Amino acid sequence: MDFELTPDQRAVRDLVRAFAREEVAPHATEADRTGQFPQGLLARLAELDLFALPFPPEYGGLGGDTISYALAIEELAWADASLALTYAAHCSLGAGYLHLFGSPEQKARWLTPAARGEALIAFALTEPGGGSDAAHPQTRAERRDEGWLLNGSKVFITNGAHAAATVIMAATRPGGGKGGVSAFLVPAGTPGFTVGPQYEKLGLRSSDTAPLALEDVLVGPEALVGEEGRGYEQALAVLDGGRIGIAALAVGIGQAALDRALAYARERTAFGQPLSRFQAIRFKLADMTTELELARLAYLKAAWLKDQGRPFRKEAAMAKLFASEAATRAANAAIQIHGGLGYTRDGVVERYWRDARLMEIGEGTSEILRLVIAREVGAAGATPPPDPGAGLRAGPGP
Amino acid sequence: MHVVVCIKQILDPEIPPREFQVDPQTKRAVRGRASLVISPFDLNALEVAVQLKERAGGRVTVVSLGGEETPEALRRALAMGADEAVWIRDGALEATDASGTARCLAAAIAKLDEPDLVLFGRQAGDWDQGLVGPMVAEALGWPLVTNVFQTRGENSPLELLQQAEGGYRVVAATLPAAATITNHEANVARLPKVREIMLANRKPITQWSLGDLGLAADEVAPRVVVEALAVPVPEGHCTFIEGETAQEKAQNLARALRELKVI
Ligand SMILES: Cc1cc2nc3c(=O)[nH]c(=O)nc-3n(C[C@H](O)[C@H](O)[C@H](O)COP(=O)(O)OP(=O)(O)OC[C@H]3O[C@@H](n4cnc5c(N)ncnc54)[C@H](O)[C@@H]3O)c2cc1C
Repeated sequence: MDFELTPDQRAVRDLVRAFAREEVAPHATEADRTGQFPQGLLARLAELDLFALPFPPEYGGLGGDTISYALAIEELAWADASLALTYAAHCSLGAGYLHLFGSPEQKARWLTPAARGEALIAFALTEPGGGSDAAHPQTRAERRDEGWLLNGSKVFITNGAHAAATVIMAATRPGGGKGGVSAFLVPAGTPGFTVGPQYEKLGLRSSDTAPLALEDVLVGPEALVGEEGRGYEQALAVLDGGRIGIAALAVGIGQAALDRALAYARERTAFGQPLSRFQAIRFKLADMTTELELARLAYLKAAWLKDQGRPFRKEAAMAKLFASEAATRAANAAIQIHGGLGYTRDGVVERYWRDARLMEIGEGTSEILRLVIAREVGAAGATPPPDPGAGLRAGPGP
Repeated sequence: MHVVVCIKQILDPEIPPREFQVDPQTKRAVRGRASLVISPFDLNALEVAVQLKERAGGRVTVVSLGGEETPEALRRALAMGADEAVWIRDGALEATDASGTARCLAAAIAKLDEPDLVLFGRQAGDWDQGLVGPMVAEALGWPLVTNVFQTRGENSPLELLQQAEGGYRVVAATLPAAATITNHEANVARLPKVREIMLANRKPITQWSLGDLGLAADEVAPRVVVEALAVPVPEGHCTFIEGETAQEKAQNLARALRELKVI
């Protein structure tokens, strides 16, 4: 047992912490207000090699481990969850999909610029008909002489409007199902592939979330990612890794809420003493601290398992489930500790609540994650649940 | 151009005041949960050195005398752009003071391959004495320019921009020379890139003991005796400013503040 971070892990965390505090945090409130996509900060992330961090050296990456990557996400999220989500969705899901399942040609063409931060890759699983049921996309991919013809629509796609290419999950057999889902890499601007207007979101307002439409989109055979019919299992594996990132993101938001709440409780006086003297407030702070530290340990454990090449599906699901709910509770408590100020934009902590809330929804809702965990421990029993229950194992894209 | 930067690892000065404690027995700050960082002005010195290297070519060697966590500071310096790192490490140095430190650093610099310029932070962020830089320059017999924030030119004489009242003074320094560095917007320490961090973590660090430096333990024994060390207790006093009219009150307030040397 060793709880010590390696020198690389510590240095990456410290670097991102310094960057996030000096360069990101000062603009986060404004970014939330304007909803402007953080192009400039993404360029800085690229300069600092953060896009290279999780990818292999053959494609211009640094071969960093999952622990370092997750620590980087936590630190970014502490300052600005929108930026952290933009980064995490690209690295874990879009580029992450290619990293895990792309051909050498696809990686050379797309992963290399992705690792340099020159091309964002999005991942599109969720559809108007439902996101939790990953095994049954309505989007269809039909074989043609030239390759594949894609038709359908996707919703809530992170980086949808800014991506250079998107991994689209589609049914290669009517109705999809196990063996009937495949992934296709569709470059932006491919005829028939269009991006809809940005959603008006509760939080994460400077992240890019858009619907996508595919109308007779013809792509070559090289667009297929991995084996035909393996898309469902692939998506599950990609999401397993992604959940570690979302757990770290949630911890970052929760920690920011805690830090602000603690500072406020120490300086604000009521009835002639600082709020932090009141046991009701102290207990809140103690609970927030405890839950966030446990959430951090949970994502680090899942990341460690992944780095060891060991199974981590259950641990990633537990980390994401617990961390996201802990972050929302922490943000909620931070609002309460701030009183009326907490309910206003000026109080800042309301942003943490709005941002944290997504973490319980994206990359597998809390409900779906509980299904995953129950299944992993065998609580589903010997009899498989009825279809489409099979799809629920996956949980959705972010 | 071979630039040497001497850095000190200190307790993070940014920790909340309530967490800062002094051990009355050893008369030292208690580590507690504080992390160790490179002293702030030393970071400015590193930045000045790396900028000089980028402009004039050459290399940067970073030297630090310190305890077991010193490599972390040296690696940070390597990630920022230093080429080599030297750790002066010896059990006999545990209790040393500015003069002992300066002796070691001077011996180390003399042992390095013909340095042209040695940079120090203006003062360390823990004791704030500002002694080591001048003492090393004295020991080496090199000219010293204090409160420098930037360099200009590429060769000897090198122009050193020295902070001065309301502006700056340009000092042409014949090399080899020493300078202490103060903070300025031109020398804010850069954030290293992840790639450089990883490379730095794999670079070797040279270790020199007192013996390697040709020094004996009694030569570096502390010469300053700290009699007492305590965290000041903040005290509040309240004075009511009297006066008939607002103007009179304001005048009395101004006088009181002036007497307190606040304004
Ligand atoms: C800001 C944002 C970014 C996103 N980014 C992406 C992205 O990049 N790529 C992508 O593919 N998707 C993305 N999504 C979509 C997200 O992953 C889905 O919204 C999520 O998976 C839920 O799917 P859904 O909205 O269709 O809800 P539904 O699947 O319709 O679920 C609705 C509710 O029913 C519950 N539920 C569903 N099935 C069950 C069940 N069997 N048992 C119990 N409860 C159940 C769910 O937990 C949820 O509470 C994003 C969403 C948002 C808001």
